Amino acid sequence: MIVIKAQDLTFTYSGSKKPAIENLNLEVKEGEFIVITGPSGCGKTTFARCLNALIPSFYRGEMKGFILVLGMDISKSTTSQLSKYVGFVFQNPENQLFSLSVERDVAFGPENLGLPREEVRRRVEWAMKVTGITHLRHAAPYELSGGQQQRVAIASILAMKPKIIVLDEPTSFLDPLSAHQIIETVSNLRSEMEITIILIEHRLDLASRYADRVIIMDRGRIILEGPPSKVYGEDAEAIGVGIPKISLLFNLLKREGYDLGCTPVTLEEATQAIRRRIMDDRS
Amino acid sequence: MSLKLFEGFRFTGKRTPIHRMDPRPKLLIASSIFLLSILFTNIIVLLILLIAQLPLIYLAKSLRRWSNSLRGGAVLATLIFIMNFLTGSTLVFSLSMTLRFLVLISAFSLFFLTTSPDDLGLVLERLHLPYTLSFTFTTAVRLVPTVALEAQTIVDAQRSRGLELDRGNIIERLRRHIPILIPLIVSAIRRSTELAEALESRAFGSCENRESLITLSMKWTDYFVAIATIIILLVGIFVRLWIPLPSLDESIRLPSIWV
Ligand SMILES: Nc1ncnc2c1ncn2[C@@H]1O[C@H](COP(=O)(O)OP(=O)(O)OP(=O)(O)O)[C@@H](O)[C@H]1O
Ligand SMILES: [Mg+2]
Repeated sequence: MIVIKAQDLTFTYSGSKKPAIENLNLEVKEGEFIVITGPSGCGKTTFARCLNALIPSFYRGEMKGFILVLGMDISKSTTSQLSKYVGFVFQNPENQLFSLSVERDVAFGPENLGLPREEVRRRVEWAMKVTGITHLRHAAPYELSGGQQQRVAIASILAMKPKIIVLDEPTSFLDPLSAHQIIETVSNLRSEMEITIILIEHRLDLASRYADRVIIMDRGRIILEGPPSKVYGEDAEAIGVGIPKISLLFNLLKREGYDLGCTPVTLEEATQAIRRRIMDDRS
Repeated sequence: MSLKLFEGFRFTGKRTPIHRMDPRPKLLIASSIFLLSILFTNIIVLLILLIAQLPLIYLAKSLRRWSNSLRGGAVLATLIFIMNFLTGSTLVFSLSMTLRFLVLISAFSLFFLTTSPDDLGLVLERLHLPYTLSFTFTTAVRLVPTVALEAQTIVDAQRSRGLELDRGNIIERLRRHIPILIPLIVSAIRRSTELAEALESRAFGSCENRESLITLSMKWTDYFVAIATIIILLVGIFVRLWIPLPSLDESIRLPSIWV
């Protein structure tokens, strides 16, 4: 089933001349894990805002083409209506938490949906368990580390049981270890529930391992798209995308004349490729 | 100084009997102290009202923060004293007015130090205020220390670039504050946009009859405290109306010293 379908999507913020995204075409299937990346200002956030109708209901501007999210036309929906289906995790954890205890914050979304108290309680417990923050239940968000805060933000979104979760650079305020843990948490979601994940991320070393598809954007357009091992070639390097070190190494080797026949994304894949090559050489 | 004052009103999630108390009896205590301190000008009563809060503050393990809020109010308190004394009030009366101000600060500091803005929101909801209104109020309360901290960061940053805030006459000083104000306003606007976006994404305001996960419930200790407070308040009103208190007023006034 197609959950997101964008066709010739173009959006220009009111007041600026150049479109922030231009002629975007994309289809996302249910349950996919998609990583979107690209240099700063290329329109990733703008595209993400289209997914839960922050564009065009919150940010004014001119929209051309269309985008359907779960069959709904976003130009005819509001963010509130969509919030039941599309969860959005923002970059800055500080400005997306509203309460003084973790538990209440996770409950905030389901409460707003008008769910009965027992259902809210069930969802809060579940979401805290999935994100591993049950022990922080009574803590105040401002006392937590950035990584823990971002986990609370993810739990708050999960408690609304969305079909799609969009995370806009959720790790950019975090140290490498916390970033790693957040991405692990996100990738584990798929085993807990039926969910489509759209992750906007610069740290491709971490995210690529779990991604079904990587989308590389530049200047408002989609430049490259496909499984990680297909897109991390030399073109991606040229755009200035921080592709995984191991992919980079294999690209370098290829340029030097050592074509190992693939672009690995993880160390395991790389090891296998090298081992294969050594076996071939021996025989 | 201003930051210290905010510290003295900022909720900290400690686990003490006072923190755990239902917010309603706490609000009752604070308002009763408020009322009594307005009713009486007698310096002894005002002193008792101040001292009576000490055990509560001690129980709440908040002595340091509480004293911060009093120290934060010290400048204003001194001003109140000087104004009263200079305009011909007696020494004792001027002291009483100063004390009254400190009693008020202390009472509300005690309330805000030990009551989570979330609980305050629940009280406002109980009073049938629209949810958006109570939410706005609690968010404002919650953001005060954050914004204060941010202001401090901006002041430090601009100082390290050579901005001198305390030089020149009043106009000059105000002008020197502009480089503080502009970044502060810009960041406040950015913050409010981000908050609004996040609120929208969490279905804020999409449903009329929302049910809060946490509800307020009074334990017997809360009832006990509430009833005790009401009795003390009634006794206070009774004393004020029917029993004349001994006055300490020695009629020391500024002109009498001068003459
Ligand atoms: N609210 C806005 N009003 C006007 N222009 C905007 C607004 N938000 C973004 N833009 C512009 O749209 C373009 C795309 O910005 P966007 O935030 O989508 O990029 P991004 O890929 O998310 O970048 P980053 O990696 O820095 O987050 C930029 O040129 C930016 O200046
Ligand atoms: Mg962005």
